[in-house]
Amino acid sequence: MKGSDTEVNLAVNLAEAYNKTDPTFSMAISGGGSGLGITSLLNGQADIANSSRPLTEEEQSLFKKKNIYLKTVVFAEDATAFVVHSDNPIDEIDIHTLAKIMSGAEENWESISGSAMPITIYGRQSSSGTYSFIRKKLKIAYSQKAKEMTGNAQILEAIKIDKSGIGYVGAGYISKKIQDNQGIKVLKIKHDAAQPAVSPLDPAAIKNRVYFFQRPLYQFIPEKSWAKVQHFIQFETQGEGTQIIENSGYYLIQ
Amino acid sequence: MQYKKRIAIDKIARIVFKSTGYLVLLLLGGIFFMLLYNAIAFFLDVSPLDFITGSQWNPTAAEPVYGILPLIVSTSIVSFGAMLLAVPLGVGTAAFISEYATPKLKNILKPAIEMLAAIPSVVIGFLGIVLVGPGIADFNNLPNGLNAVNGAILLAIMALPTIITISEDAIHAVPQTYREASYGLGASRWQTLRKITIPAAAPGIIAAIMLGLGRAIGETMTVLMATGNAAVFPKGFFDSVKTITATIAIEMGEVPYQTTHYYALFAIAIVLFFMTLVANLIGEYFINRFRKYHAA
Repeated sequence: MKGSDTEVNLAVNLAEAYNKTDPTFSMAISGGGSGLGITSLLNGQADIANSSRPLTEEEQSLFKKKNIYLKTVVFAEDATAFVVHSDNPIDEIDIHTLAKIMSGAEENWESISGSAMPITIYGRQSSSGTYSFIRKKLKIAYSQKAKEMTGNAQILEAIKIDKSGIGYVGAGYISKKIQDNQGIKVLKIKHDAAQPAVSPLDPAAIKNRVYFFQRPLYQFIPEKSWAKVQHFIQFETQGEGTQIIENSGYYLIQ
Repeated sequence: MQYKKRIAIDKIARIVFKSTGYLVLLLLGGIFFMLLYNAIAFFLDVSPLDFITGSQWNPTAAEPVYGILPLIVSTSIVSFGAMLLAVPLGVGTAAFISEYATPKLKNILKPAIEMLAAIPSVVIGFLGIVLVGPGIADFNNLPNGLNAVNGAILLAIMALPTIITISEDAIHAVPQTYREASYGLGASRWQTLRKITIPAAAPGIIAAIMLGLGRAIGETMTVLMATGNAAVFPKGFFDSVKTITATIAIEMGEVPYQTTHYYALFAIAIVLFFMTLVANLIGEYFINRFRKYHAA
């Protein structure tokens, strides 16, 4: 199994748990990026490709040329939440304003929340999948002033003490326990002023795919490998695996 | 027979130790040439002048720019800030241990300071996030404390053991006769320390400072965690900085293999290599001078 770095930790957890139920089944998992996973399928070096994006047209035609038929499994849904300090008066934000903040075009909270404070952006380092996901979704280049933090937990800790902060984290990293979230506030996101705002913590919204910063996590499997991996796929989409997916902070789509 | 055996053992021992010695040299040379080789590949794409004078580092932009200046300035601000704190503290502590402390206290202080060196850098970085950073923010009324000052304070803590240990050795090595002569002329303890002992130990103290500086420049994890890593050109001590080490650590993970960006990281690594090399060479130079001075 090869592919997306976003999914590699989850895939390892799933495989380890599956191995307990069926010790005869062995699998090797590596990251390297979605593109690498898909290329490995083409070369016959992998049985499953993890990908956080669908196939491009170019890739589709390559698979057609090689007569490889792929099965697609969406085994989980990943959402990214925007958080601010709990003293920040805003509860929701539209995509346009968000793009202005993250690109550095807007550097003060005054026109957004009414309180004159410089905006401090807490982002991820550029090797993070979330980093490039947000950049592509907002179609911006990040502000040079954005701080690069090495983890979701670090961003949350920083925002708890920084009233001017805004940052993005995987929705799964926001604790379900309210007392753990003192000092932070998860923003609801809306497409524009007329649309309703959607919270990333609302499972129903994620299921209906109405939250802006969400993406399905795919697994592509060539047909000839299907028999081999079928039981594993069943494990992660219906069996115990679903528990692991939810506990790792992702959402299930069924 | 016995004699021949002894000769043979001596010969083998000499070959073994000689080869381990050369192995170290080979490693150093190998690392240097690997850096150089990849850095040359970078300079085929980007002119060295743009690299050195460019005031922006943004390799993932649509139009990538590779200016090392903000990184060098960041590293310098943090390292020199650290020295500003660590030198008076370190030399003062060394003087105290060597000249004033009772043997009992000395026996507690010396191992305690050496234990400070054993704290992993990631733990110090963590302290920066949860303790020093918020402290700086509160104290200066800033929104957050992830800036150069935070990094400097933490690096000062990390450089202290090096500075104290080597300075203490240097002060301790000043011959007792110097002090006795000074006391004989009626000088007080403080006057002796200030006018006689410290100047006599100066080369050793400078060496200690330079080795501490080398440690500060090369430190990665702590600054990565504590300084915020904003790529913008830093304007002062209270700005977020992105040091050379942090840049390499952050970007090496995702950079596509054998691209200009990949080679660029080797180019900045070689700059870092020279910065620490110069600090260490100056340190070595003064240590040697110190030895010669007292050998005479």
